[in-house]
Amino acid sequence: MFRKALLALPVALALGATAHAEKAPEEVLQGLIDSIDSRYLTQSEMNIMMMPDNPALWVGIDGEELFHAARGPNNVSMEACDFGKGPGVLEGAYVEMPRYFEDTGKVMDLETRIMHCMTEVQGFAADDPAVTQRHGSGSDHMKLQTYIAMQSNAMEWNNPLDHPLEKAMRDAGEVLFARRAGMSDFNCYACHGQSGKQVRASVLPDANVPEDWTKAISWPAFRVGHDNVRSSQHRVRGCYYQMRQPGMLAGSDASIALISYWTDMARGQPAILPDMKR
Amino acid sequence: MFKKTSLAAGVAAFATILFAGGCAFAEADKSGQVDYTAMTPHELAEYLIFEANDGGGFNLAQEMQEGGTARDRMQQDELQKACSIIGDGKPDEETMAAIRTAAQESIVYPEGGIQLGNWERGRELAWSGFGYRVGHNYDDHNVREVGGTCYNCHQFATDRTGGNVGPVLTGYGKMRGTSEPILKYVYDMIYNPHVYFPCTHMPRFGSSGFLDKESIADIMAYMFDPESPVNE
Repeated sequence: MFRKALLALPVALALGATAHAEKAPEEVLQGLIDSIDSRYLTQSEMNIMMMPDNPALWVGIDGEELFHAARGPNNVSMEACDFGKGPGVLEGAYVEMPRYFEDTGKVMDLETRIMHCMTEVQGFAADDPAVTQRHGSGSDHMKLQTYIAMQSNAMEWNNPLDHPLEKAMRDAGEVLFARRAGMSDFNCYACHGQSGKQVRASVLPDANVPEDWTKAISWPAFRVGHDNVRSSQHRVRGCYYQMRQPGMLAGSDASIALISYWTDMARGQPAILPDMKR
Repeated sequence: MFKKTSLAAGVAAFATILFAGGCAFAEADKSGQVDYTAMTPHELAEYLIFEANDGGGFNLAQEMQEGGTARDRMQQDELQKACSIIGDGKPDEETMAAIRTAAQESIVYPEGGIQLGNWERGRELAWSGFGYRVGHNYDDHNVREVGGTCYNCHQFATDRTGGNVGPVLTGYGKMRGTSEPILKYVYDMIYNPHVYFPCTHMPRFGSSGFLDKESIADIMAYMFDPESPVNE
């Protein structure tokens, strides 16, 4: 016990005051619940209770194996891949995405970065199922995303906006968030502009309340109703679907702009990774 | 002459838009990439929707239930533009007045006045969330009729759980009766609520063509008919 604490100490020091690597996702959520009166955060006692046994944790364990395995025509592991903090460095990488990557000249989110590494580093063909299959707990994508994201659990969202492209994408995302179109005239505020509102039985997160919003954007999360681990890109797709707007293309710059903005809206709040949602 | 002049003015205005857009979009860096940082956030957002990623950030070629393609559906009309405000605020008073007027002009009333239809069908329509969804799980209107999605945001009869984004409508007809002004008010609210609440989040179910006249009459019956569980 003492030894474990000693070993953990330098890690904690290295990560600084914002990181709570020893905190479980349910403890991060409990901290948020204790800090604010929120119908959204407290809506499912069952999910809160189930979080220690979150099926996403197992998907993450599969992801760990997959991440370190030599794969693809080039027979290399994902360790050669840079997620923003240097090749193979995952600690805190996800809460600082989307970010600008020098090697592609683009702002990328976790999903598009994984695709980039699969094709450019591991040598998979762009149409290989490992690359194209984005959804479902059994997909390589969700395994890898969950594992990588878990290395940012309890850390504060802090996507960089120093590069002009990062700022441009975030600002365009803000416009997209407010942009009304389609058969219902909806924009994102229709569901995420007020506190304590619900659509049918589901209490909605308010984008103006960062404590709500960090849970809202904490993907991957196990969607109980879907019986699958889902991604940020899956959430974005679902929102546009319900808004009666056209299908957003996964990994499109539009999707990354929106995710840049929504991450900025949760800045400074601890991520719950993996989360469990209705 | 008037027509010719206004047409010429319109063409000139269009050319200006093209030129301004072309300026921002054509500036490519060494790698041939369009420079996103040279655009305003609004220009970039439009570019990301309609141009980026070889043909837009959405599946714009998909055919829509109402006709046309997803590209058409993503185009904003005047109201959608005026009400797309960062921070979800309201436009200025003048714009709000113009929205109200345009909304009033969009409302088409049934011949012979507003009538209540079949509350039982209205109950199912108020509950149904089916219709006009596209993308990965397209709503085929030949398989199921378009619903009103009313319960998403409103509580009606308490035998089913509704949302609370909009006001509670339980007991609506029982409390308010069925006078002509109240029927007109609810018809307007369903048809185009911007006539009373400019930039409301409620959809324009009549003006957009989301619901036809019969469906509106049936949903109104669900709200007003004394037999409806809404008025128990």
